[in-house]
Amino acid sequence: MGPASPVRGMLLCHAGSGRLAFLAHEVLAIAAGAEVATSARLAFRAPAGASRVLVSPTGGAVGVDALEIDAEAHPVLPAPPVAVRASGGSLRGFVLARGVLWPLVGLVEFERFLRGLGGEGT
Amino acid sequence: MAVHEPETRQSYLVFACGSSWYAVPAESAAEVVTFPELTRVPGAPAHLLGVFAHRGEVIPVVDMGLLVAGVSQSSRRAVLVRLPRGTLALTATTVAGVSPVTGALEPLGPTGVHVHLRGPAKSGPRDVAVIDPEGLFDHLSQGA
Repeated sequence: MGPASPVRGMLLCHAGSGRLAFLAHEVLAIAAGAEVATSARLAFRAPAGASRVLVSPTGGAVGVDALEIDAEAHPVLPAPPVAVRASGGSLRGFVLARGVLWPLVGLVEFERFLRGLGGEGT
Repeated sequence: MAVHEPETRQSYLVFACGSSWYAVPAESAAEVVTFPELTRVPGAPAHLLGVFAHRGEVIPVVDMGLLVAGVSQSSRRAVLVRLPRGTLALTATTVAGVSPVTGALEPLGPTGVHVHLRGPAKSGPRDVAVIDPEGLFDHLSQGA
């Protein structure tokens, strides 16, 4: 397992009882409402729903309950293979920020993963 | 007539999760820990409770009760099984210690996780399922 490498510029998000981190440069826009967003809650076995939508440059969208922008550098720890498999390959590692771990996922890959869970049009 | 059962040469860490007892080769059992609040993994199956950071490594916690029998066993203790490819934390409600195991080491089932549990075997008076750590790791990380 390799050493932790730092990452800077993230969106730290909550979805249901779960936490998620996205790289800010992968997010084209943040919109309100969740009518067409694929809800990140589905990845945590919670009913779909969201109050903010992260839009990717390719037009994909992921809904979350809450988010905050974090500009500081944080270490990223490698994800164990068991966790990578569970998230359909969208998991890139775990960010250690604010004293807790945040799963760092690629926005496009995670949106694709959620669609596979049946989250389209939530 | 007494039946002689072969005794394995390995030592095993013997632990329980609920009413089921397991044995993992002592050489793979790194330590027993009380884990902190877990971070949930997106998309994780129910038996993957979450992850925690331990000495710079992110370690997944597997509820052995849910994985093997489909029944959750609440516990904050886990046996860390360390392999060259990574570490697994297997929940434990009781840890008996290190001891030899006697009996067979045949797969306890033809499919699923039971392929990676071996037996029938005993540790003292207890019936134990001997965990194949490499096989269990593959099962959890690749669905093998």
